[in-house]
Amino acid sequence: MPLNLFLQNLANGLSLGSLYALIAIGYTMVYGILRLINFAHGEIFMLAPYFLFYGLLIFHLPWWASIIAAVALTSVTGMLSERIAYRPLRNAPRISVLISAIGVSFFLQNLAIVLFTGIPKPFFRPKFFKNIYQFGGVRIQSTLIASVIISAIFLALLIYIVYKTKTGLAMRSISTDIETSRLMAVNVDKTVSITFIIGSALAAVGGILWALRFPQLFPFMGMMPGLKAFIAAVVGGIGNIPGAMLGGLFLGMSEILFVAFLPALSGYRDAFIFAILILILLFKPDGILGKNVQEKV
Amino acid sequence: MELLMELLNVDNITMKFGGLTAVSNFKLKIIPGELIGLIGPNGAGKTTVFNMITGIYTPTINKIYFQDQDITGIKPDKIAKVGIARTFQNIRLLENLTVIDNVMIGFHLHLKSNLASAILKFPGYVREEESIYHKSMELLEKVELEKFKREKAGSLPYGQQRKLEIVRALATGPKLLLLDEPAAGMNPQETKDLMSFIQKIQNDFDLTILLIEHDMKVVMGICKRILVMDYGVTIAEGNPAEIQNNPEVIKAYLGVDADYA
Amino acid sequence: MKKQNEKLYTVLALCILAVLVYFAEKNLDAYNLRILNLGAIYVTLGVSLNLIYGFTGQFSLGHAGFMAIGAYVTTLLVLPPYYKEMIFILEPLVWPFTVMHSPFIVALLLSGLISALVAILVGLPVLRLKGDYLGIATLGFAEIVRIIANNIPQVTNGALGIKGIPEFSNLWWTVGVAVFTVYIIKGLINSSFGRALMAIRENEIAAEVIGVNLTYHKVMSFAVSAFFAGVAGGLFACLITTIDPRAFMFVMTFNILIVVVLGGLGSITGTIVAAFLFNFSLEYLRPIEAGFNIGPIVIPAIPGLRMVTFSALLLIVILYMKNGIMGGIEFSWKGLFRFIRKIFPNKKSSEGSAM
Repeated sequence: MPLNLFLQNLANGLSLGSLYALIAIGYTMVYGILRLINFAHGEIFMLAPYFLFYGLLIFHLPWWASIIAAVALTSVTGMLSERIAYRPLRNAPRISVLISAIGVSFFLQNLAIVLFTGIPKPFFRPKFFKNIYQFGGVRIQSTLIASVIISAIFLALLIYIVYKTKTGLAMRSISTDIETSRLMAVNVDKTVSITFIIGSALAAVGGILWALRFPQLFPFMGMMPGLKAFIAAVVGGIGNIPGAMLGGLFLGMSEILFVAFLPALSGYRDAFIFAILILILLFKPDGILGKNVQEKV
Repeated sequence: MELLMELLNVDNITMKFGGLTAVSNFKLKIIPGELIGLIGPNGAGKTTVFNMITGIYTPTINKIYFQDQDITGIKPDKIAKVGIARTFQNIRLLENLTVIDNVMIGFHLHLKSNLASAILKFPGYVREEESIYHKSMELLEKVELEKFKREKAGSLPYGQQRKLEIVRALATGPKLLLLDEPAAGMNPQETKDLMSFIQKIQNDFDLTILLIEHDMKVVMGICKRILVMDYGVTIAEGNPAEIQNNPEVIKAYLGVDADYA
Repeated sequence: MKKQNEKLYTVLALCILAVLVYFAEKNLDAYNLRILNLGAIYVTLGVSLNLIYGFTGQFSLGHAGFMAIGAYVTTLLVLPPYYKEMIFILEPLVWPFTVMHSPFIVALLLSGLISALVAILVGLPVLRLKGDYLGIATLGFAEIVRIIANNIPQVTNGALGIKGIPEFSNLWWTVGVAVFTVYIIKGLINSSFGRALMAIRENEIAAEVIGVNLTYHKVMSFAVSAFFAGVAGGLFACLITTIDPRAFMFVMTFNILIVVVLGGLGSITGTIVAAFLFNFSLEYLRPIEAGFNIGPIVIPAIPGLRMVTFSALLLIVILYMKNGIMGGIEFSWKGLFRFIRKIFPNKKSSEGSAM
């Protein structure tokens, strides 16, 4: 493969990977705190571009207002889903919450069908994002650069929040031991809500960037990216935020390079991701950055 | 006098978890019929030794022999089959199953029926099931738990849960029984009952027993030989009198609590 | 209650069931028959998932994968060769599938066996995982099966799927298989093997130390579960007469999971009830999509409203009935009579003394 083509693929992989990373962070934070696989996260990701679409086209809001509104609305949706469907089940057997999460996922998908119809809507791209920069033989879309830069900014912000603020300390405390945290006067409910808001906001940003890159909206658009982002979180070490970032990048790269090197097998690109998942689970279940916590006998 | 065959030979084993050495150069030879105590402060590595003998961990260095057979690293279910049974520090009962089911499972490893005859309920299988049921009831009667046979194991009071766990271990028909802190959480009366119970089952079932305990009444009361561990190393071995007077042991452990008279 | 009496009651109940099936087949229209057939197939699917999840405690989300395998195996065996030649338009069907042709029952059995075989191969490495990790690994497996089905048109006709499958599945088949499944799995559970499975569910380490071979029991349970999922897949194919990879997405496993959890994990009775309840609710919610009135408020026809309502109802049930519909209680003749005696204290007392 000629070098410039390889670099092109690498750049694509990086961009796709950073989108997966943004979504994966939400999964990993929620799992870290509640030991819940938030199946509905993919739908949160899906709602943001729809909100943006309606903000721009139906309500004719300016760009910046639409984006803020979309991200805000999406975050609220995420927070509400926790309040309504997960919080009441906090002391129920874990399978109940899992089913509830899947239920929320299907509810949101079908709600989207009802509200927005299932017909795919074209997303438009503002002039700014239509630029293509040329580095040597490599063509890079500005959406690509935007996703990488924006993801990096948000990751840095997130790491600051988690490791340098009281809220972040509360989050880390809850993910270790929820009962003791309560005894230590940590406001668990508030912290969980904040976690969902942050995770949903990141997924919303990811969703908007995704729609800029793949400008077609449909209600099921969150399923596969959501699943893959979850796999990315597992690969990086579930519960570990830098791990989610790393996992996302790794998965994005792997997917693009797989298709690049084995174009005949491109129909299997998703199966490849699942295969990576199974291999990681079998050989390094705690992921790339995870820690090995063994059950004490 | 005939030379008694060694039942268990733990041959200088060491257990490392990554950079941490939990147990180092642990040696123990047990002949049939002994009642041995393993004591030491928390974290000394006693349960780790149990876990190595029962196949939950594989010793990093050296081997363990049972009746001259190398059992190092064999999985726990095979260990049960060769005749070693154990109980756990934090009781591991099958909580949602009935008391009698908990015991009946102990008899499984002696079953001859296969899957097909179990589904189709062949007479051979049905006979085996009935025999297991009766044997389980006998064991329950020995500890006066037979009236709880249909209760969920998790609903029993703590002391009875411990007894049930021991009875379940007995159901596997062991030659060597490992008890991990059986007296934990028991009041003085229960502890006394436990002591006579242990001696009774040793007699009735022809058992050799290795016991981890913190309660010195129990250890000094029924054990003929005692090993003391601290920080993964055996620091003393001997009979109760020797151990009580051993300065190393006193330093590591016995200094504070002296009411084992 | 004596064992003989119990067997008698069961045989009697089966006879009544047979009569009901006969009348249903004769008198009900296709629409209602379809719902009943689906209900029965879901019983098979639910009870088999309950075996590996409710009883053995292994959280498997791979059921749709085994169903898919079974569906394609049955389809390829049950379609006559000339027809297969016709419909494989993306790429010609590959030998030996071109010449294979067998009766329905053979196809079903083979579907089950092949699914079971795959389960053994997959289960050996994967069942070492626990909890959520096992869940996503098996989910990954099911997705891989689906993606493969999409990408091997020379065997499956790819994304186009296969249409015109003969409609062999009628109530006799679906209910018959359901009864057989319940019989076998109940027999399994009420045996020493079943006890070992539940021990694994309760406390793996304790079970191992008592002498239970974890790998053997987990893999066998997984294989039996997959067997019935495969058979159900075959029945499914010959009921809806078209299959394509999209039918076996995660939604399918999730539906089966709902049935098992709503019915109560570890309760076969619950699964049976939930299977029919689930299918009935889905169907009878259809009118919502046509538009209706609540007093003065007019709700127009909105496509998709059915599923929104269904998901909402599901969430409500989950939030308020945590132990499942049956509360974990299993059906038994003894239990039934005790219940009847509680409601009618004097009527059945003579019956009671005989027990």
